[in-house]
Amino acid sequence: MSSLLEFREKLKLIYSRNDIYIISVMKFLLAFLALTVINGNMGYMNKLDNLAIVLIVSLLCSFLPSGCILFFAALFSLLHMYELSIEVAVVGLCLYLVVFLLFLRFSPRGSLLVLVTPLLFVFHVPYIVPLAAGLLATPAAAVSSGCGVVVYFFLSNVIANAQAISAMEAEEAVAKLQLVINALLGNKEMLVLVISFSFTIIVVYLIRRMSVAYAWTIAILTGGIANLIVLLVADLKYDTNMSLGGAVAGTAIAVLVAKVIEFFRFCVDYNRTEKVQFEDDEYYYYVKAVPKMTVAAQTKRVKRINTQRKSLSGRGQRTRSVRPQEDLSGPKRGRQGSFVRSGTVDEDMVMDVLDEVVVSDAEDFVNEDYVEDEGYVQGVEDDGALGYGEDAEGYPYEEEGYDSEDVPRNDPNVYEDL
Amino acid sequence: MLNEERVILMTKMESYEENEGKKNVKIGSYFRGDYIGLQILKSVISASIAFALVFALYIFYDFEVFMQDIYKMDLFAFAKDVLVAYLATIVSYGILSYLVYSYRYSKAKKSLKAYYDNLKKLNSLYDDEQ
Repeated sequence: MSSLLEFREKLKLIYSRNDIYIISVMKFLLAFLALTVINGNMGYMNKLDNLAIVLIVSLLCSFLPSGCILFFAALFSLLHMYELSIEVAVVGLCLYLVVFLLFLRFSPRGSLLVLVTPLLFVFHVPYIVPLAAGLLATPAAAVSSGCGVVVYFFLSNVIANAQAISAMEAEEAVAKLQLVINALLGNKEMLVLVISFSFTIIVVYLIRRMSVAYAWTIAILTGGIANLIVLLVADLKYDTNMSLGGAVAGTAIAVLVAKVIEFFRFCVDYNRTEKVQFEDDEYYYYVKAVPKMTVAAQTKRVKRINTQRKSLSGRGQRTRSVRPQEDLSGPKRGRQGSFVRSGTVDEDMVMDVLDEVVVSDAEDFVNEDYVEDEGYVQGVEDDGALGYGEDAEGYPYEEEGYDSEDVPRNDPNVYEDL
Repeated sequence: MLNEERVILMTKMESYEENEGKKNVKIGSYFRGDYIGLQILKSVISASIAFALVFALYIFYDFEVFMQDIYKMDLFAFAKDVLVAYLATIVSYGILSYLVYSYRYSKAKKSLKAYYDNLKKLNSLYDDEQ
């Protein structure tokens, strides 16, 4: 677990350092994927089915707002439909406009979900949508995911009926219109999925917000089961001919993906839950605090410390703390390099810190190179006869074994074995 | 001289202004009635366009039958039905918009209040320093 947490911290570090580039690359990849899938499945307009155009538009999307990806995807699909039949394109345009005017007006941020939902349908893992949206978004995502489902079924109907539509004569405009609209309105599977997605999103959202231990895990599992039950009941009632095996497998994958999302978004240690109660003038507070699981990401730091004092001169201000004269009586001789601040710092910990120290050649000495770990040790001298250090607050560490008053400062025997 | 508390406060406020705050400041510049009224007006226009689109599709869906019946049917009754459907759409969508935008307005105001409290705190930090 700790290595996973460390991996997560590393990812966070990489993301926080390069978020501008990572977001742009992600937008580019999403746009490229969406446009490639549209071209691959529809591809009626040969001019659009061109890698150069897809790349240029994807590059454009990489620095435009994320809503533009949906706009270009809609534009591509409309142009393909236009090539197939102008009536189909008109129906498509009306559908997109209604979705935009009535639903996306309330939640512009949901545009990404409208795009991602059909894509996940294409990759046969649509059940990720309700679980992930329930975990990461608000119940308003139910509207966006519903729009995504409708858009997917509309496009898949157009693709399924493409041959029939192209075989029709130009005079049969109304027949084309009827074919497309009937296929959409008469699709019970679509209706069932809209309902099950909305229901699952609300269930997952409500449970994950509850103040119970392992709320997210319970929410994921309950959401998965709720989704399956709704699909099963709808299949029995409306005879939708959905593949239940596929639904079970898809839900299992969705649960796994949701667990990964949970690890990145809500990794807490319920064993260390603290419950506190206090009051102020107006309220009583019953607070439950659950600590997050975190580890510090390991970063490689090379510490170069040289003890040849002659190399110290003329190298700027020396910030390493040197024990004041009166404190020199304080340090007690002990094992070289082991610093123990009485009662507060564990010796093993300090030894671990010292393990990081790499002693370099005299020429490599740089004043600013010190051992730093959790603010405990700032200065270390290795073999320069004295072993001393101080913590972040400037308190000197005492070496074990001797009491300061036992050791006369000028006693030559004090340092004989260092 | 740098005041750490002030710098932290200013950074937080700047981050708020850049992200969530931008939207909230815009909302906060309206009176409640003006903001909700404007949004409902926009919603009514959107819903009208959407209704017109769906109505046009409905007509074209059964265009031939419609054209045959147009001389036989009671046009006033048809227009009344359409008007009722239109008003029902507009009113229900308007009520939904009212609920959503009044919630958003109160949320934005609450968030802005916290922001203005921080502004006052920042001001007092400057005063303390002088």
